[in-house]
Amino acid sequence: MRDFFKSTRFKILLAFLAFLIGIMIYGVTKGGYSLSGTSFVNTITKPFRSAANSISMKIEHSIDKISNATEYYNENQRLKQQIGELNKQLTDYEALQDEVEELRKLVTIKEEHEDYVLSVPCEVLSYVANDPFKSFTINKGSADEIEPNCPVITSEGLVGITVEVSEHVSTVRTILSPDLSIASVCSSSAADTGIIEGTILDAANGNTRLIHVDIDNQLEEGDLIVTNGNSGLFPKGYAIGTVKSVSLDSSGLSACAEIEPCIDITRLTYVSVITDFDGKKEAETDED
Amino acid sequence: MRIKTTKEKRILIIKTAVRWLLYYVLIFFSFVFMTSGTLLKPVLLIPIAVCISVNNNQIGSAVTSAVCGFLIDISCDKLIGYNAVILTVFSIIISLLFELYLRYKFINVLIATAVVSFIQGWLDYKFYYEIWNYDNVELIFSEITIPVWIYTVISTVFIFLIIKLINHFLMPKEHLSLEEVIKTN
Repeated sequence: MRDFFKSTRFKILLAFLAFLIGIMIYGVTKGGYSLSGTSFVNTITKPFRSAANSISMKIEHSIDKISNATEYYNENQRLKQQIGELNKQLTDYEALQDEVEELRKLVTIKEEHEDYVLSVPCEVLSYVANDPFKSFTINKGSADEIEPNCPVITSEGLVGITVEVSEHVSTVRTILSPDLSIASVCSSSAADTGIIEGTILDAANGNTRLIHVDIDNQLEEGDLIVTNGNSGLFPKGYAIGTVKSVSLDSSGLSACAEIEPCIDITRLTYVSVITDFDGKKEAETDED
Repeated sequence: MRIKTTKEKRILIIKTAVRWLLYYVLIFFSFVFMTSGTLLKPVLLIPIAVCISVNNNQIGSAVTSAVCGFLIDISCDKLIGYNAVILTVFSIIISLLFELYLRYKFINVLIATAVVSFIQGWLDYKFYYEIWNYDNVELIFSEITIPVWIYTVISTVFIFLIIKLINHFLMPKEHLSLEEVIKTN
């Protein structure tokens, strides 16, 4: 033993140990930065370590999946259920939001036209299949005091009229239909009157037509056309659409205008029905 | 016909009930499809009525076609019973034709559907549009009636396959196969 302590081998080992301690102390003084040698090794081995780590992680994940399969399955089911519940809540919330929006619009209509008796907001159930004039059905009927020939509106403008009413469903004929004629007037020049009546050509573009207009009319593009209220079927002064173009009709004796409705009739979700308004009953009495 | 045992009879009844149930499920979903959206759609209930008539007796075919007709009336906002009458008449004719003269082949079913749907569309155009002398009424025929007819004929392929699948599993075999004849004798 004494020979070993006195040997050169022991001295070399001691020196090496001191060197290592010296490196350690130097490392401490670098304040978090690697030594140049370490850095070099790290740089060289980086791709290999990365690949190896990736493989081992995959294996670990696979083992984890197998060993904890039941736990993951249960968690998956729970999360799916949670997502389903959240989606349902979101759908309910969106439906509620739509309804609130419609009610808000209804209040606006009611404020502007105090004489209107409006139904609750009616949801558009479905459009009539393959109908060129975009008739549709709504989810309210006679049980909600809706009758045939009641005007159907949105806050933006007139949509049409109820034509067939059952207890909980009504069919609405739109202003695109040639079977619906509405006495109308230009809001800016009260002298320009006419009849709103759809045509096949205009309906294909989502528009309707103002016919029987005086040949010396003052109509211009963008003029607002509103209901006249003479027939007693529609309240006076409700917006229908704006003038898109003015031309002579086929006979050349009167003018007509293409009218762009205030609302996109093909994209309706909610409408309201005017069940009563000032002038309705008087008009019926006049007709009688 | 081979004489059936009680068990075979019971299976036959159950299969028949399930088959008709599936027919009506198909009718229901086709109706729902027809009432959704705003685009032009095939009148799916016509090929369904035809395909059912091809394989079944006149009474069953007529009742089912009437149901299909009523549903078309509702979805297309036509006079209730209008399409029911048309389809019932055609279903009886088709049922008889296939019973007596025609074989149950896809091309025959396709032609039958094409003829029935064209006549239905043409009558619809005549009675609901042309008779009222609308301006440019011919546009309805070219822009709506004909495309809908084409869609309906194309949809026959899918309806035929679905009904054939139902029949394959649930339709009782009316005729004995050669092997069965040999076995019976």
